[in-house]
Amino acid sequence: MTDNLTGAPELTITPGGSDSQTRLGTIARHRHWLVGGGIIAVITLLGLAVPYLVSSKFNMGLVLDGVILAFLALSIGFLARHLGLISLGHTAFFGGAAYTVGIGIGRWSMTPTVAFVVAVVVGTLLALIMGVLVVRSTGMTFLMLTLALGQALYQFSTQRIAIPWTGAHDGLQIDLSGGTFLGLTQKSMMNAALFWPVAWVLLMVCALWLWITGRSRFGTVLEGIRENEERMRFSGFNTDLPRLIAFVVSGCVASIGGALFALNAAYVSPELLSFTKAGDALTAAIVGGLGVLAGPIFGAIVYVLAQSRFNTSGNLHLYTGIALVLVLMFLPGGILGSLEKWVRGRLSRRRQATPPSTSEPSSPEDQS
Amino acid sequence: MTIFEGRGLSVRYGAVKALTNVDIALEPGLVHGVIGPNGAGKSTFIDGLSGRARVSSGVVTFNGEDITARSPRWRRRHGIARSFQRTSVFNSMTVRHQLEMVAERNGESDLASLVDTLGLAPVMDRVCSEIAYGTQRSVDLALALIGDPKVVLLDEPCAGLVQDESVRMLQHVRDICREREVAALLVEHDVEGVFRTCDRITVLNLGEVLASGEPAEVRSNPAVVQAYLGSAA
Ligand SMILES: Nc1ncnc2c1ncn2[C@@H]1O[C@H](COP(=O)(O)OP(=O)(O)O)[C@@H](O)[C@H]1O
Ligand SMILES: [Mg+2]
Repeated sequence: MTDNLTGAPELTITPGGSDSQTRLGTIARHRHWLVGGGIIAVITLLGLAVPYLVSSKFNMGLVLDGVILAFLALSIGFLARHLGLISLGHTAFFGGAAYTVGIGIGRWSMTPTVAFVVAVVVGTLLALIMGVLVVRSTGMTFLMLTLALGQALYQFSTQRIAIPWTGAHDGLQIDLSGGTFLGLTQKSMMNAALFWPVAWVLLMVCALWLWITGRSRFGTVLEGIRENEERMRFSGFNTDLPRLIAFVVSGCVASIGGALFALNAAYVSPELLSFTKAGDALTAAIVGGLGVLAGPIFGAIVYVLAQSRFNTSGNLHLYTGIALVLVLMFLPGGILGSLEKWVRGRLSRRRQATPPSTSEPSSPEDQS
Repeated sequence: MTIFEGRGLSVRYGAVKALTNVDIALEPGLVHGVIGPNGAGKSTFIDGLSGRARVSSGVVTFNGEDITARSPRWRRRHGIARSFQRTSVFNSMTVRHQLEMVAERNGESDLASLVDTLGLAPVMDRVCSEIAYGTQRSVDLALALIGDPKVVLLDEPCAGLVQDESVRMLQHVRDICREREVAALLVEHDVEGVFRTCDRITVLNLGEVLASGEPAEVRSNPAVVQAYLGSAA
């Protein structure tokens, strides 16, 4: 490979810097890894308490649905954030993995654990195939291509020829009695409160993975490609390969969500592959905030809870539409995005209020 | 000693002949100016040399090797860098981030001195979209100069700069090329600046070479005087 995406020696440049400055720089550089990792660890632990806080079984089921949708929202949000690409084809990996669980267990008598692993591999391979076809395109073309490919898989799943495998519109019941998944029996898998820790921890692992990816040198390269692809090429970078890698990573996260869905629901249907599913995830990601890592996760949970509320009122789409318009108008950047901006604004204002105590050798002068 | 050469280069956009049969030879440490009125084909020339535009005929050689079919990435990796007429930087990134990113890729050993020379030290931690336009142009130039390229093709590095900035920019280009033994091609609007800065000059008009040679030669070339320099000469 010609690209040194990994393993390149870190280069620290401190203009006219001394040794001690370099060391301070290194600590500052590593501090955000510790802070970010710490925050994710704490949130993971706090999240484990959710089943104890949510009393009703119904609500617990909703929150779990939200977390499973969050995998899809997180994966779509990752591409949007780092490459500025909106994919409507991620349902192929989500649904593809879910179907793999169903087919693997039903046809090939895999245990749930094996089926899960195979499903994630299959979903990721689908992402690789679709990625090869779409990563050279951008913007609207990318959106349409991913939509078309995702829909193609949806259509295929409902074809006559696929019926023995997918059950077409009837879907596929999954018999989970033949084994366990991470120690969970069939009953526990289908119990939201008991399945929760597995889904939640895996979601947090994915979030951590994506966060590290985005923060690494590789993430910087992605940002460069998003900002100015041509200049990247003329600066010696391969731009297709990093995009493909990001697409596959994101597809892998969507696959994990799909496989978990199948194990929890013990049922898969073409709806998992349809673009309305992608629409749900994208809406959730936008509502939560595409610019923040946690945005799509938060958005997905809020979205599922709100949908349930709106649904009981009998005006699901009307209320969803109104809520979306309100968020877009009053909270540009999504709920968490706006929150982050507000907090940052407060912090920087406070920092400005207190006299600067730093002794930077060359304070940035005001340019213009 | 020629390191980088274009021979008989032509580029066409559909029916438009943007460049016809143009030659150039660049030597280490020398700045070769390219001037010509708007639409003369100067940017197209750089596009052809850098692999951005497909040449319909002609060859580009580097150290004697035919590289006409090589990708922009290959060229950059092998020491042929370019800048763009319209500022082409990474707006959302800090200056430091983008320079380090490109430096890491291209093995720059002494980014700090390049940063100092171009006066970018004070803005290193600012987001690029928030710094002054003139400074962005310097970042653009730095992106092309990182990693000790052997050849740089600069498309109007002074575009949009005020007189002082322009003079300083041309001085930087000249100094850095001498110091680092870079073979430079400099497209520039400001004719006087080019005559001050360059060791060789090529005048393009309607995609063809009107004159080429030492500054004094070109300045006194009757065709150039008549068609382009006019009273400025
Ligand atoms: N991408 C393009 N497609 C079609 N025509 C182009 C393109 N780029 C440049 N041209 C044409 O080629 C000619 C030369 O343009 P250019 O190289 O930009 O000139 P200069 O840089 O000297 O101002 C002009 O007539 C311009 O309209
Ligand atoms: Mg031009």
